[in-house]
Amino acid sequence: MIGCYDFCGHYEWTFAWLEAEGGHNLVRQYWEEGISRDSQQHARELILSQGFAGMRTYWGHTLDHEAAGYAIHANEEVFRIDMHACPSKGFLIRNGLVQYRDYCDHCMGWIGPVMQDAGFVIDHEHNHCGQCWWEIRREESTAGPSEAGRLAGEADVRLHPGWNEQASPHDRYHQATDPDDKCPPQPPSS
Amino acid sequence: MNEEPPVALPYRDTKPQGAADFYLAINATFRFILNRLGQEGLRRYWSDMGHRYFAPVSKQWQTHGAAGIAQYWQAFYDAEPGREVSVTRDDREVRLDVKVCPAIAHLRQQKREIVPCFCEHCHFVSEAMAAPAGFTVRVQGGNGSCTQRFLPADAITPPQNLEDITRASLS
Repeated sequence: MIGCYDFCGHYEWTFAWLEAEGGHNLVRQYWEEGISRDSQQHARELILSQGFAGMRTYWGHTLDHEAAGYAIHANEEVFRIDMHACPSKGFLIRNGLVQYRDYCDHCMGWIGPVMQDAGFVIDHEHNHCGQCWWEIRREESTAGPSEAGRLAGEADVRLHPGWNEQASPHDRYHQATDPDDKCPPQPPSS
Repeated sequence: MNEEPPVALPYRDTKPQGAADFYLAINATFRFILNRLGQEGLRRYWSDMGHRYFAPVSKQWQTHGAAGIAQYWQAFYDAEPGREVSVTRDDREVRLDVKVCPAIAHLRQQKREIVPCFCEHCHFVSEAMAAPAGFTVRVQGGNGSCTQRFLPADAITPPQNLEDITRASLS
């Protein structure tokens, strides 16, 4: 049997298997069709019907259940997540599991299509070390990402130790919903 | 050969059990691959996972034989929420009596459409894990409860009949 205890291990292995079978597009299609529209249909239904309130319901439950170190801050304009210790990426790091070139892409791969369908866009940055932040706004918003600490205070992951590990390049997204729509590389934020 | 293995699970988490909602993703993954690559592609996915991702388990089984197989499955099911499974072994055979499959139970609880061939993955993944260790597996039943027997590959037993594996459904 394939289990849920080491799910993140065989999930990450699956990305590499699909890419070998059908290239990058098959991996993208898997995240959108298999994960976003099928596996995570409960998240999709909550967010499409309730917007920010649905996000709080979904991520409050899911991240609690995964025992993540994280913080959520939200107001009428933005929903922000600070992930201090991603349980999923942490599992891979602790067990030395690296089959796919960028595991972290899967989050934008399934969350992006949900937000696009619900009328939201995403500012996001991850450091490939189990830390990331997300700011989700309505697609008509012209606001950019917040300054470090302004929305989340001390919980802002950008102020935490390890955020700017030099050996780990960051991936950034601005008003995006597509996993390949990354901003050009630049030095880590401070 | 057959001394007790030191660590049964090759990949360890900080929490004692996994999150059951990941069964939703496992079921969805099977459906996606079945739709895109067909039955042959899905079976290849399962076999490749058994050969490659689970290679450390297979290596343990090569070293420790039936004792390693039994200890792995005991530790495996201890980490799966909602299971009701007994693991027994004698000198040659390990037997899993799955009274409540945690995956099927959770998919039903969540009212998710279950891929009909879901239970075949237990045969294809386990066979790929067992073969390098000189064992073979026979699955009987499915759709929520089954028996799985891990036997020496030289045992006189008919090959797995896939019709012995019950199609999965919500009921």
